[in-house]
Amino acid sequence: MSPEAAIHVEGITKNYGAFRAVDGLSFDVQRGEIFAMLGPNGSGKTTTMRMILDILKPDNGRIAVMGGPLTDATKDRIGYLPEERGLYRGVRVLEMMVYMATLKGLSQGEARKRSQAMLERLELAEHSKKKVSELSKGMQQKIQFAVTVLHQPDLIIIDEPFSGLDPVNSLVLKDLLFEFKARGGTIVMSTHQMSQVEEMCDRLLMINRGQQKLYGPVDTIRRQYALNAIVVQGKGDWSALPGVARVETKENGTKGYLLHLKDGVTPDNVLASIATSNLTQIERFELAVPSLNDIFIRVVEESKL
Amino acid sequence: MNKLLLVARREYLFNLRRPAFLFAVFGVPIFTFAMWAIIFLVVAAGESDAESIGTVGYVDNAAILIDPIYPTDVPPERFVAYPDETAARQALDDKTIGAYFLITENYLSTGEVESYSFTGLPEALRDNWEVFLLANLTRRLDPDVEVERIQDPVNMVIRAQDTGRTLTEANIPALIFIPLIFAFLFYMSSGTTSGFLMNGVVEEKTTRIMEILATSVTPSQLLFGKIIGLGLLGLTQMVVWFGAGFLLIHFGQGLPALNGVVFPLDLMLIMLVYFLLSYFLLATMMAGLGVVAGSDQESRQYASIISILFIIPFFLIAAILEDPNGPVALIFSLIPVTAPMTMLLRLGFSAVPAWQVIASLLILLFTALLVAWASARVFRWALLRYDVRTTLREIVNVVRRPSHEVAVSAAHSSEEVVS
Repeated sequence: MSPEAAIHVEGITKNYGAFRAVDGLSFDVQRGEIFAMLGPNGSGKTTTMRMILDILKPDNGRIAVMGGPLTDATKDRIGYLPEERGLYRGVRVLEMMVYMATLKGLSQGEARKRSQAMLERLELAEHSKKKVSELSKGMQQKIQFAVTVLHQPDLIIIDEPFSGLDPVNSLVLKDLLFEFKARGGTIVMSTHQMSQVEEMCDRLLMINRGQQKLYGPVDTIRRQYALNAIVVQGKGDWSALPGVARVETKENGTKGYLLHLKDGVTPDNVLASIATSNLTQIERFELAVPSLNDIFIRVVEESKL
Repeated sequence: MNKLLLVARREYLFNLRRPAFLFAVFGVPIFTFAMWAIIFLVVAAGESDAESIGTVGYVDNAAILIDPIYPTDVPPERFVAYPDETAARQALDDKTIGAYFLITENYLSTGEVESYSFTGLPEALRDNWEVFLLANLTRRLDPDVEVERIQDPVNMVIRAQDTGRTLTEANIPALIFIPLIFAFLFYMSSGTTSGFLMNGVVEEKTTRIMEILATSVTPSQLLFGKIIGLGLLGLTQMVVWFGAGFLLIHFGQGLPALNGVVFPLDLMLIMLVYFLLSYFLLATMMAGLGVVAGSDQESRQYASIISILFIIPFFLIAAILEDPNGPVALIFSLIPVTAPMTMLLRLGFSAVPAWQVIASLLILLFTALLVAWASARVFRWALLRYDVRTTLREIVNVVRRPSHEVAVSAAHSSEEVVS
């Protein structure tokens, strides 16, 4: 185990009766990265998060957080935003934030100061004396996130942080997450929005039926799933190029053609041919890297076979 | 600050401001004072009623009021004699008198008295008239007998050899009612606070705050923090009520109902011990069941079953009071859930043997610790079980399992199982 790892998970398994929710999972989360946990509903993401947080005990395997087993002191350095969220409904916003922050080891005064600053930041200062039940759903979600980071943890584990947020609030949250990362914080998040993973996350773990399906840096994984194909846009007869097996018109999204290459032909070979050919005029040339969304669907479909 | 104390502090301060609590704390004494006030006003109004009709005449055809005597309650000017009915009738028509009584000739055998008035007779006047007649009839039998002795022949002074308390008739009502009021307040207080405890746990579970709490505090810190915070809340409530009771008795000595009543400090101390232990027992039960219950509704069903267990002695008041040291009283003093109430009722009336008090307290203490221990296990286990009904068998299994195997169990809610 590397000493830098924020989380080190080694062969954990969790059964609920006859149902195996997590099946021999191993992975590391490095300090300072945004780590995505992906997988269909019921694939074991939440159970894994709960085991990392020591809410659940794994049946087998070992978990180290911040370099050791989870202690009370370590717990104070973690923030958790569960998927199914709730707040004390009849309690005033500021009071509830202060309580939750003191449970994470802040003093009353410090908790109050930070809560007020956070409410200012989230443009919710005027609601600080209101009861939680009087706030809109979007406001409540922002408060919930605020509670997760108020004690300035080193690691936050957030389950579906963007679900139910409108685009404006999603942007606010995204900024807060990047800010958290910039200060050296580690983020583990699960999400179903693959575009967000592509945009925000350094590495990912995809699980299905409790087992690891994909694990590694987001870019590397996308490249692994790249076809031996290129996407081009321009004029000319693409099929006449040497090494091109067949030409497909791209239907979804941007205009262009997908050129499937013959075995042993690399994109570099084709680029060289295009450069020397006067039959074609190139405007765009890129590797046919699939979106994470495509990869996700493909992995899930494959595991059904 | 210790996290257990943080939880306790929050539970105390938050629930202290709840309208339900404020009502219970201040509403109950205010309501009691108001009831007393109404009763006294009604009594006072009844007394002035006797005078409202003015002077009352009478015609004595049975010759029992010749040269009448007037007992202390009957002012001599209230009843005026008229020689015959015509004169009395005339006085009534002239409004010299408000009413008159006609004592019939055969009154001594029939007791027949006719009354005449335009407005009807107040109850208090009729009572006054009876006292007047009784006094004068008594004198015919034995001039030495005081009318008070006929009205109230026994004024019992009970000298209990075992407690050394001397009870006079004047404070017997107080001795019956004070334990009853204590028992009632006791039940209200521990019921309110343990109810808050259960609601709190159910709220935290249904809103999933429990999940965040579980990453900040241990299940035991959460459970015992709540029990301590709300226990202090219950004590606060009792202190306010005792204070009000003390003031009522202290300043109410002039009132006939409270005259001579002493605030029983010794009883109060024992009661405090019983309160703490029985609250602890009730609260740990409620917390354990609250975390097992899936919903508000389910938790209320559990709460009402438990509450009934605690108030069983109320249904047996007659049996317990009739024989405060009998077998029924003894058995219910030893059963932990019924012990506090039963003992309170018994201690008010008689001297309970010391071994029984000690045995009852020890059994209660032991049971409370056992339930707390079991409840902590169930609490940890059921913390994150959502949307599943828990069976009694499962609970028993959790309690009996070796401790290292008791971990939080997240039941697979429907979402979790779909794969």
